[in-house]
Amino acid sequence: MRRHSIAAALVTIFIAFMPAGPGKAQQPIRAAKWTRTYVVEWNEPAMYYGAKTGVTDPGTDCPKGTNPEPDWIKVLVDAGYTVEEAKWLRNPANPTRSPVHGQNQMAFRGKDRANVYVNPLSTSDPGLVGVSGAIAEGLNLDGDESIGFTSPTGENGIDNNFYKALGCWKTYRGPRRLSSGALNFNDAMRNGQWTTVIVVAGEGADPMNDDHVTVGFYVSNDKMVKDGLGNIARDYSFRIAPDAKYEGILPARTSGGRIISIAPADIMLRDPGYTRDLELVRARVDLTMKPDGSLTGYVGGYRPWEAVYKGWVNARGPVIEVLTWVQLPSVYYSLRRNADYSPAGPGGEKTHISFALRIEALPAFVMTPDGSKEVASVQSYKAMAPKENPIPDRFPFRVVDGIVIDPNAKVQAGPHAVILPPSNSSADQRPH
Amino acid sequence: MTFSFSRRSFLRGMLQSSAVCVAVPILDRFLNANGNAYADGTRMPVRFGTYFWGLGLTDTPTGGTRWVPSKTGYGYEIMPELESLKPVKDKVSVFSGFRAIGDGRPNLVHWSGHASILSGVAPALAGRFDGPSFDTRIADAIGTSTRFKVIDIDASMSRQPVSYSTRTGVTFAMPETTPVSMYTRIFGAGFQNPNSDDWKPDPSIMLRQSVLSAVKDQRQALMAGVGKADQIKLDQYFTSIREMENQLVVQLQKPEKCEACVIPTAPKETPRSASVDSVRANTKAMARMLALGLACNQTRVFNFVHTPGISETYVAGESKIYHQITHDEPTDAKLGYQPETSMLAGLVMQALGDFLVELDVIKEGAGTLLDNSLIMAFSDTGYAKIHSIDNIPIFLAGKAGGKHKAGQHIHSTGESVTRVSLTAQQLVGAPVGEFGSGSMRTAKPITEIIA
Repeated sequence: MRRHSIAAALVTIFIAFMPAGPGKAQQPIRAAKWTRTYVVEWNEPAMYYGAKTGVTDPGTDCPKGTNPEPDWIKVLVDAGYTVEEAKWLRNPANPTRSPVHGQNQMAFRGKDRANVYVNPLSTSDPGLVGVSGAIAEGLNLDGDESIGFTSPTGENGIDNNFYKALGCWKTYRGPRRLSSGALNFNDAMRNGQWTTVIVVAGEGADPMNDDHVTVGFYVSNDKMVKDGLGNIARDYSFRIAPDAKYEGILPARTSGGRIISIAPADIMLRDPGYTRDLELVRARVDLTMKPDGSLTGYVGGYRPWEAVYKGWVNARGPVIEVLTWVQLPSVYYSLRRNADYSPAGPGGEKTHISFALRIEALPAFVMTPDGSKEVASVQSYKAMAPKENPIPDRFPFRVVDGIVIDPNAKVQAGPHAVILPPSNSSADQRPH
Repeated sequence: MTFSFSRRSFLRGMLQSSAVCVAVPILDRFLNANGNAYADGTRMPVRFGTYFWGLGLTDTPTGGTRWVPSKTGYGYEIMPELESLKPVKDKVSVFSGFRAIGDGRPNLVHWSGHASILSGVAPALAGRFDGPSFDTRIADAIGTSTRFKVIDIDASMSRQPVSYSTRTGVTFAMPETTPVSMYTRIFGAGFQNPNSDDWKPDPSIMLRQSVLSAVKDQRQALMAGVGKADQIKLDQYFTSIREMENQLVVQLQKPEKCEACVIPTAPKETPRSASVDSVRANTKAMARMLALGLACNQTRVFNFVHTPGISETYVAGESKIYHQITHDEPTDAKLGYQPETSMLAGLVMQALGDFLVELDVIKEGAGTLLDNSLIMAFSDTGYAKIHSIDNIPIFLAGKAGGKHKAGQHIHSTGESVTRVSLTAQQLVGAPVGEFGSGSMRTAKPITEIIA
């Protein structure tokens, strides 16, 4: 069975039922005239890389290159620790520095040694250098071509302040599929942590040019399969897993195979990042059905910026800071400074920031939740979702206020922790 | 059709268009009249060990590598991170391109890779295996006639002892962590010099054996009078007792003389530190102690951890640990790889090189201890920056008494790591026809390296 068959030819009288709200009668959903179905094999924040080589080199996006690694000794000294204390805190031989969870005392560098991860305003903005270039990938979310970046293909009005704020941070910066963050999260996805499928359905005779198209994003509990070269294999089957949270349905049209939103929608996708929830307000898509059967492009919208910050904190602040070369409070300040949308209206607090996710998807068979047949339309499956669908904790340890506390540790981190060991401690427990 | 079998023979056939082979156990017809040497005069014992190091070797996101030779088969070129294997290259086979397959289970970072290699299945939970590690099967097959069935060693100087050897998947072996503890275990109380001319049975061992024999009837009575759960607990307990009895029997027999056995002097305690230099020195010292223990026929099976999956090692004077560097160091645009990570990987491999040389310098018959051993060395990950479980580096070192056609590079395009695990088990004579489960289940050893 070819996946690209027109659904109407296969299922001429299939009727699905739209889930209804309380007290509403269920409305029948007609099978679409055609469908295209995909599995997302790669997704990452759309971060245009302005350098010609490397992953950190200076470029048009970040003229000084990727933000350099902070001098952690200086950071600690600036926060009020002595040089000796700072050096001891960063010493791998220090028993309070966990090789797995990092140095918890790094959290306590705010005013009066407040925890800067949960109280970033307790310290001044360390200053994360953002993107200064004019080119960005993404979508025109507000319809205003006079404000925003220019796309690599010359379209104006691209709204992507997430990129503007964080595009020079090492974890996000790099050529397509090569930034460290994208490599990490996509490897996890491709190894089975989650699966996202896309259904595109239309009412016209020509899928490439159709004014009545709907795009659906769903999760599947079926894992992707790798081929012999480690690439995701095409044309495997994935059953939609009805989920009360993760789902997105967007109205669109196609023109020459390009799928463009015709109206915004509020959706929730699975984030390829520590935030896990990619909530997008006024979301849009700009995707292209390619001749080889794949699908590439963007889904974007305005996302709550504070959730992004908390995602990084809850991934263990001391670990994230040293691995990604960032002072987390600077991420907080940068996101807040560049936030550009308020759900309350133009005068409201800007709690959201424009964002785009770059998507690369392969043709796949997307099946109904019971696996009995291919989907023949885009519809919501939320009403079929289990009442409780908890996602297991990402980490096999408990993070509290951005750090992992070892209850058996002799010395606990905190505002009043004694940093240097007593002079009579053993040789390997003293600064040297 | 007539067949001719020797101790190196495998039963070979075809299964579903694939070549399969099954090891032949050590049969009396292969041995001399005393059963302690092969009819052709060579010594019988083949030793097996696992050698583990954390954080893989260096790949690049664009497909480059610092360790995978371009040439396959014999005569592979020495890649930068394999430089330390040069002195024993002809005794080491390199396996690249093999991967752990999760069958939908997520990649538990620094765990799924080696758990898959050892147990044959990607685990559901970090900290546990979903089955026993295969070294225990080998120990059951070849480790019963020595004083210690297996010796577990952790040279990593980590804060907690590390072992990946397990019979239950839940509890792991308690390793020796210093040269002093190893010396005490092997050459301390209870050691009997196999080359001593005035050997006598140790009265204390005879006493222990008689005590265990005396309670044998009570053991059986106790088993009969308890519930199923307790029977399982008692069975596990009495299994360990039986193993102890077997070891006591071994110690009450006059040991065969070992020309290669040299009793070392007792080492001194050294400061604990996870610096690269300290861990390498500890590895070398413990490798030396182990090699002498093997030469003195105290054990035939071992598991050696150089560094754990989340390696704690660091370069003295630096503030970053190796693990952190693998993740945070960007790929150098001109070099095409992570230079500091690669440098540290080279140091890790130097420790493996040191380890193998320690076995190779001990002469044993016409060859060396390494020639009569098979060491499966492997890591938890391929490209450590992203915790990849593709292209996990694996090596088989030693000639396994002539069964291993060593010195080859075998490249796979994504087959399961369990093929190498199965091959290792068959090379040392474990009665195993298949290994692993799900997509990692295999009955196909790598026949190219089997003599």
